[in-house]
Amino acid sequence: MNKRILIVFLPALLAALPMFAGADSQWLLQQSTLTYHVSHPLHQSEGVSHAAKGKGVCHAGQCEFLIAVPVKSFDSGDSNRDLHMIQVTRGAEFPLVTVRTRLPESDATASTINADLEIQFAGQTAQYKQVPFKLDKQGNEIHITGTIPATLTDFKIDPPSLLTMPVKNEIPVRVDLTWHQQ
Amino acid sequence: MLGNLWRSSVSGLLVVSLFGMLAPSLIAQTAGEGVLTGRVTDPSGGAVANASVTATRIDSGQKQTANAGPDGTYKLELPAGNYRLTFEATGFKTLEISSATVNVTVPEVLDGKLERSEAVNSNLALTQQENLPNAPSSSMTAPSLSDLGLSPEQTRGNPQEQALLDKRTHMLKIHQRMGLITTIPLVATVILGPGAGGKSEGTAARDLHVALGSLTGDLYGITAYYAIRAPRIPGTKKRGPIKFHEAMAWIHGPGMIATPILGIMAFDQKNKGEKVHGAASAHGPVAIVTAGAFGAALLSVSVKF
Repeated sequence: MNKRILIVFLPALLAALPMFAGADSQWLLQQSTLTYHVSHPLHQSEGVSHAAKGKGVCHAGQCEFLIAVPVKSFDSGDSNRDLHMIQVTRGAEFPLVTVRTRLPESDATASTINADLEIQFAGQTAQYKQVPFKLDKQGNEIHITGTIPATLTDFKIDPPSLLTMPVKNEIPVRVDLTWHQQ
Repeated sequence: MLGNLWRSSVSGLLVVSLFGMLAPSLIAQTAGEGVLTGRVTDPSGGAVANASVTATRIDSGQKQTANAGPDGTYKLELPAGNYRLTFEATGFKTLEISSATVNVTVPEVLDGKLERSEAVNSNLALTQQENLPNAPSSSMTAPSLSDLGLSPEQTRGNPQEQALLDKRTHMLKIHQRMGLITTIPLVATVILGPGAGGKSEGTAARDLHVALGSLTGDLYGITAYYAIRAPRIPGTKKRGPIKFHEAMAWIHGPGMIATPILGIMAFDQKNKGEKVHGAASAHGPVAIVTAGAFGAALLSVSVKF
């Protein structure tokens, strides 16, 4: 009898296993604009990257996101400044900035979310709690915007200086991401 | 005439010698020994005894190592310069500090806070993650860098390139400081130029003009050296104000060579009691164009146009 039950249910059980092991849904980063802002007593400058890659994997109501962007991909319009930024942020040694976060799957329908971020940059890891983001969902796409309140000291970066004057410690990073649900 | 030339040359040499005495402190004190000291600690602030601290000179690659004592303190006596530091201890992640400047006047204090290596701090990491309400989990579904389609070349660090960037920044910082310092005698030389033209009877103004001009030339040479010798980073396409900055160098560079040559000719004619004539009469205009190009080069990287 037990054997019979096993024979009947085993194929169904085996068929169901991948469903439990696999992801319920996935999100892929389709478009991205990350902009850092640096303030210097003489002028302000911004570096922009469109080279971020990202993926979100949802399972059991929770989604895990990973975004990676090459440090070298940030363009401030001045190659000398960009090289200096790569040097101070040790971008050749640690070529990627990675951002990880975990969010409830239900957040996809919200208009604002607060995310806890774990950012690896310049060989250091910093955590930012409850960073607010705006969400705009249209069909299978979500457009997310917000600003990460990063500082140089969070990543133990010596402030770069121009004409012996250092830049401000605050380097807020504006985030503009479009995710597509698979 | 020879007496005047000799006097101005002597005063010029005096100013240059004075600069020669001050130069080492201006250029990050390249001579003498300095002290690098500090304390090596674990994440809780406890001393890490016997930690190895290695200082690698960025420009020459020369290494010197010291071990931390029982209280975690270390001391390295090093020639003044720029160093990369590595802190190593069993059970801890290697800590690297890309740039530390050692000078002869003040001991450099640099503490090394070491993170425990993975095997030791896995529990600690777990605790930290649990403290964060929606922090990344260690579940099997979390995406990895390979999921993002990044190649190993994109994810792997390149310490050689970092060392090259460190050296480049170090040299360009000196270039920048020397450029600012050069501006002072350059402006003074230009201001004193009309007075040195010979309207006055005496030669004192002319001698001072020559001396300041000589100082400007020497400082300019040092400034240019650090820009020319700064390493180039392969694969970098020049964009932005640096292009204008470099274009200006093609004007003020030759100008800085031509100006003193024309000046010597003008000086010689003046001391003969002649009116400055021929190519020598271009000394003033060439000097002004040179100073203008130098100023524009300086402004182009300081103020956003």
